[in-house]
Amino acid sequence: MPGVPVISLVMDLPDEAPAAAATFEAMDHAIGAVGAGELRLVRTTEIDAELVANPGAGVFIGPGSPYEFPDRADDVITSARTRGIPLVGT
Amino acid sequence: MLVEHARNLMGIENAVHAEYGLEGTAIVDALACSLVETEITVDLAPGSRLAGIHGEASVVERTNCNYGLNPEFAHIADAKGLRVSARDDTGEVRAIERTDHPFFVGTLYQPQRTTSTRAPHPLLVAFVRAAIA
Repeated sequence: MPGVPVISLVMDLPDEAPAAAATFEAMDHAIGAVGAGELRLVRTTEIDAELVANPGAGVFIGPGSPYEFPDRADDVITSARTRGIPLVGT
Repeated sequence: MLVEHARNLMGIENAVHAEYGLEGTAIVDALACSLVETEITVDLAPGSRLAGIHGEASVVERTNCNYGLNPEFAHIADAKGLRVSARDDTGEVRAIERTDHPFFVGTLYQPQRTTSTRAPHPLLVAFVRAAIA
């Protein structure tokens, strides 16, 4: 049985920040409506070559720049763009 | 997304986001008019993915940002596979998408601020559908 598709949310805001809370809630709504998918929070400090090579089924570039490591966020964007992985940025 | 596009596809290797205070070409710059805690109406480009998702010509969205595409580089939003998919009533770019990609959409507003369990935001639902396909 295939695993649940994982969507990486790249965001450095603390969880309690209003924009972060809104993002979690909105993705809960969207995933609930579709009935599949799982959100994985990724801090830019955690982005490494393995994550860049396999960012998941989808990538959400979350609000709240400046990021701690903006070039790493850009690397994930490049990966999604060149690999045809769905991406949304807000 | 705009900085990545500028650096890797437009040949602007020193493209930067002005918020970081780095030397370089500020592709993303401070907005002339702040969009912090603001509601804006955006016109969706006919034929765009975003217009297809909403099924409407314009939508009202909430914003909370002080930065946007530098008007001097507006041309990069309609080049190398990128297109403008929404503008506000001043004509400024508020959303972009790639035409050479299954699903690649960026907004300068926050769809996550206009959503509920009963009415999840159409863009985020479309994104999740694309991800699990």
